Amino acid sequence: MFPYIFRKLLYNVPVYLSIILLVMAALRVHDPVYSFLGKNARAEDVIEYKQKVGLDQPFLVQYFRFLTTFDLATESWDQKGRTVKEVLSGSVIPSLSLTLPALLLTTLISICVGIISSYYRGRVVDRALVVAAVLGMSVSFLVYIILGQYFGAYLLNRQLGHELFAVDGYEFGLANWPRYCLLPVMISVIVGMGYDTRYYRAVMVEESERDYITTALAKGASKHKVMFVHMLKNAMIPIITRVAISLPFLIVGSILLESFFGIPGMGRTLIGAVRANDFPVVQAFTAIFAAVYIATIILTDILYALFDPRVRLS
Amino acid sequence: MQRWLHTRAARKFLANRIALVGLGIVSTYLLVALATGVFGIITPDETFERVGPKQIRGFFRPQSPEKRLADAEYILNRMDGIFRRSNPSAALQEFRLGQLYIRQVPIEELQAEVNQGWEIYDQLAVNDELEATPEVLQQLGNLERVVNGLFEPLTGSAVWKRRLELLLGTDAQGRSIAIRGLYSIEIAIRIGSVVAFLSVLIGAVLGTAAGFYGGWIDHLVTWLFTTFSSIPSLVLLVLLAYLFTGTTFEGTLVPMYIAFSATYWIGPCRVIRGETLKLRELEYVQAATALGFSRPYIMLRHILPNASHLMLINFSLLFIAAIKGEVILTYLGLGIKNGTSWGIMIGQSRPEVVNGFFWQIGTATFLMFGLVLAFNILSDALQDAFDPKHVG
Repeated sequence: MFPYIFRKLLYNVPVYLSIILLVMAALRVHDPVYSFLGKNARAEDVIEYKQKVGLDQPFLVQYFRFLTTFDLATESWDQKGRTVKEVLSGSVIPSLSLTLPALLLTTLISICVGIISSYYRGRVVDRALVVAAVLGMSVSFLVYIILGQYFGAYLLNRQLGHELFAVDGYEFGLANWPRYCLLPVMISVIVGMGYDTRYYRAVMVEESERDYITTALAKGASKHKVMFVHMLKNAMIPIITRVAISLPFLIVGSILLESFFGIPGMGRTLIGAVRANDFPVVQAFTAIFAAVYIATIILTDILYALFDPRVRLS
Repeated sequence: MQRWLHTRAARKFLANRIALVGLGIVSTYLLVALATGVFGIITPDETFERVGPKQIRGFFRPQSPEKRLADAEYILNRMDGIFRRSNPSAALQEFRLGQLYIRQVPIEELQAEVNQGWEIYDQLAVNDELEATPEVLQQLGNLERVVNGLFEPLTGSAVWKRRLELLLGTDAQGRSIAIRGLYSIEIAIRIGSVVAFLSVLIGAVLGTAAGFYGGWIDHLVTWLFTTFSSIPSLVLLVLLAYLFTGTTFEGTLVPMYIAFSATYWIGPCRVIRGETLKLRELEYVQAATALGFSRPYIMLRHILPNASHLMLINFSLLFIAAIKGEVILTYLGLGIKNGTSWGIMIGQSRPEVVNGFFWQIGTATFLMFGLVLAFNILSDALQDAFDPKHVG
């Protein structure tokens, strides 16, 4: 097992190095200092600023410097007085408080719906669920958010006479969570369910056609037992894959929700940095996102190998 | 064509009635896109034109008395603005609201009519709230008759064009929602088809080459898609769109074509590479090699046609992804600017929704829903037809 993990890690090192190369090169296609200072900046100001932030050095020097430090200690260009590290660490909790419950709820509900759907395969319940999923998938995410915010926050608060869900904003602390995050989480679950339900239904249907199910039924096991004990256990591999694929969603998946509901998470910070030409933040964020992403991919492979003895370790 | 129609997959697809409905819907959208894009039925300028007062409800639904009064006030105000200009008659010539032009009568006559309108308006506007009593309604009717009398009566096709302009109401800037929604079909189809075509093309070329030749080409392609897929797609999109800020392409469709294609080619490439790896071991490829055909020929003649169903399915899936992605990227300020698209419409409708006005968001959502749903149905049907193991 350990050689396998080691090989996986080793294989991803060049991948990650080239991602950083690509990202850094891409961000330098336009002179970032020039974009930041604006069109009216004097040439000597641009040169001076470049020297100050170290962008005047050769690309390779910058590359290796970035690889060793990630420029975490540099000052953000837009938010003066805060380092990139502070900007980043401040936005982790708000992001996770939105995406973690959303991912958990979406997965749990979708698996249940998928099981129900495959249990009644071809019957009215199943058809209705499939049609609802396809219809739900055909509406833009943005529409769900706009309407969800209107009906869930504006209108509901007006009807109730007091504020149940905040229209936007964020405060730290568990007690404040339902007020600021519950509505966006619910919207996220509703949107995610369309895709996930279809996937889990397909998994369950595929699984229910296998020979071991026939064997179990022939032995006299009840249909419920077969569904929940035999089948669910064997469906774990595709479920793990799906969850692992969605893990990167935890960090950037909620850019839209964060910007609509004014939650200062990572996605909103990234977009804000892009808009403000906050070069060090954009660069560090992208590099860290890619690192987390690769880590989850490696994790998926390892989980695969753990759960499925058929995966070749060589 | 004849032969293709009798393949197993084609027969299965044609027997699927829902799929044919989906195909019909897609064709309708294509026709509208052709009409606006190629034949210029709706020009881009028309989508920015003011056609009337702001936030009129669609389907000619009756407005509240307050709204009717405010609409009349809007037009009277515009007229007053023109009269105050240094050259009012030239301004009157230019003034138009969609299909409506000011009547060609002496300026004094118009001024008298506007004053008459203001008189009725002043009588009505004494109270903050208008009660829908018969007298008030009658006076409102009189006011509207005066206001409408300022414009040249419509004739011929202009009547229908005017009806279309007001069919789905107007947005917060008084622009026609119907015109904007219909024009956006063309934009959506352009983004969808260009992005899907480019992504599938890149994916197919790289995928078949990697799978068929193996060796360093395979290593290179695998490295390329591993690298690209290791950046979260939304971050990659944002990054690529960011590259174009400040260039002449900013705000046009070009950055979106490139950003989406550079992100979406990974899917088809991976699938087609896998399929090619499987196909190249088959007997007919060996036979073709034994017969002495060149490798590029075998790739084009034997491998590509047998992977074409994957291209079709991926085209359909990426078409949807691109249309939906446009809305999100545009909202984030990295997509279309100063143009018209469903993304722009949905983004702009947020303050309208807060005021309880749903016509703009409704139109954009409904039109987009139709197209995306049709493509969702099509991709399902294609997967059903080509892949017997697929669970629909």
